[in-house]
Amino acid sequence: MIRTDDLRKEFRTRRTTAVAVDGLTLEVPRGRVTGLLGLNGAGKTTTIKIMATLLHQTSGTVRVDELDPLRQPDAVRRRINLIAGGERMVYARMTGRENLWYFGRLYDVPRAVLRGRVEELLELVGLTAAADTTVERYSRGMAQRLSIARGLVNDPAYLLLDEPTLGLDAPIARDLRRLVARLAREGTGVLLTSHYLTEVEELCGHVYVIGEGRHVTAGSPAELTARAGCHRTVRIRLAERSPGVEAAVAAFAARLGTDAGLEPADDGGVVVSLSHPDDVAGPLAMAVVAAGGTLAGLEVAEPSLEDAILALADAPRLVTA
Amino acid sequence: MPTPPPAVTVAWATFHRTWSVTRRAYPWSYFVGTLMLGVFTVGLAHLGLEAIGGGRVAASFAAATGTADYLGYITVGAAAFMFTTHGILWVAKALIQEQREGTLGALLVTPPGRLPYLAGFTAFAYTAIALEVTVLVACARVLGVRLESTGPPDALLAVLALGVAVFGMSAVLSAVMIIAGEAHITQNTLFFAIALLSGFTFPRQDLPAVLRWAGELVPTTAAMDVVRGAFTTGAGVSPGRLAAALGLGLAYAVAGLRWLPLAERHAMQRSY
Repeated sequence: MIRTDDLRKEFRTRRTTAVAVDGLTLEVPRGRVTGLLGLNGAGKTTTIKIMATLLHQTSGTVRVDELDPLRQPDAVRRRINLIAGGERMVYARMTGRENLWYFGRLYDVPRAVLRGRVEELLELVGLTAAADTTVERYSRGMAQRLSIARGLVNDPAYLLLDEPTLGLDAPIARDLRRLVARLAREGTGVLLTSHYLTEVEELCGHVYVIGEGRHVTAGSPAELTARAGCHRTVRIRLAERSPGVEAAVAAFAARLGTDAGLEPADDGGVVVSLSHPDDVAGPLAMAVVAAGGTLAGLEVAEPSLEDAILALADAPRLVTA
Repeated sequence: MPTPPPAVTVAWATFHRTWSVTRRAYPWSYFVGTLMLGVFTVGLAHLGLEAIGGGRVAASFAAATGTADYLGYITVGAAAFMFTTHGILWVAKALIQEQREGTLGALLVTPPGRLPYLAGFTAFAYTAIALEVTVLVACARVLGVRLESTGPPDALLAVLALGVAVFGMSAVLSAVMIIAGEAHITQNTLFFAIALLSGFTFPRQDLPAVLRWAGELVPTTAAMDVVRGAFTTGAGVSPGRLAAALGLGLAYAVAGLRWLPLAERHAMQRSY
């Protein structure tokens, strides 16, 4: 497990001290995708860089399977790898195969093992046909896929993913998500930062939300949405307008302490919408029917992780970089 | 076959990688371009000696350098300067080149320290430079230059002294470059300083005393005295100057390698 305790990182200049991470405690166990979501000035990338041994913390501790990155950086580096979206992290003038071979040798992967692993990884990321093409002739998506293969060349116990799908086409991003989910199922501990909240919601079993370097909240995506008090939205489509039904809906909403929306539908009917933390679809439908209305359709939109994050902070403060 | 130690594996992989990339990126045009500097230096010295000096050097030059063979003096100096500048360009710029290419983070999360990586770069650089210097010396011979070598052992010691001096300076410069985030001003400042202080193309006795003393702080100065003894004056290698070159070069290397992790973390604050 990767564990940080009361982690703090300050960046000092001659005149100022900026606190990027402030008292962060989190755990990244094997076999799970752990999300790290950030509000403005969050310190996500700084946290990942500390875990990856690229930066030293100002105070607090990091342990990777009980190893201290400050004292045993080489041993930690053998257990981890890092993939950062938006950064190439592979050599442009080398071919895909040469890149994987070189990084494999840096990790001291035995030649006999590396030979097979390079071919497996090229196949895994769909670059077998382009294996002997230099990276400078790759598309952005191909280079990113190679970067992902590079991140797996040492068969890491922990994979640190910093915005890994940034700028990727949707099908490639989907393939990457499938790969990450598979790695976690097979026992890899994954720490994921992403500003695509649907991605985090899809992959992560546990999410830490941090803001300005400090812990805000943590839990599974479902727990976060429940904790944030996010509303389900019920939409009922009525075949035709009816003052009686509209009055009944308004009364129902008033009893719940909320408002109901009424919008004309294209087919001449009307759409009633009502948001509430509880599941009120059934009672609302019964109220409509009791008032003489005819249901032409009903849908319930469950709150998303994005709703939860937006509830935790103002939308403009959500980090997108 | 026994498995080589990880450091050897890394150095060899880095040598092989750099060789492949350079062959792909810089074909013969680069080799010819860099060679021209040395060839022109010797050629212009030849023309100047004939046109201005009437083929003879002043007695003061011979007294200061220990030789009356001006072209031999210039050829050795040009070859050593080429060795030094190209060695520094390859080795010192290796890490900032990684930073510019966006591969520094990927490199730094791998287990090996920087010594085997830089050793691989150094091995490649010295191999490439050996080819360049060989061609330069061959061109000089065509112009009638004959070098005064005191024998293979001295020649090897001279190359060792210059090689250690250049590696040490490169390790320090590498740290300076990734902290400064730029290479050109840093490298050109250093090249100017060593060209002035280390006695590549004129005798250091011509410098003011303060600059002669400043030159003693630069490893290439003692190394050049070793090179001159082996290839120019016929006096052979001075043990004192050899010890100074190796000692100062190693001190620079140790300082540079100890400084590099701090410089790398500084660079990591800005980018991957």
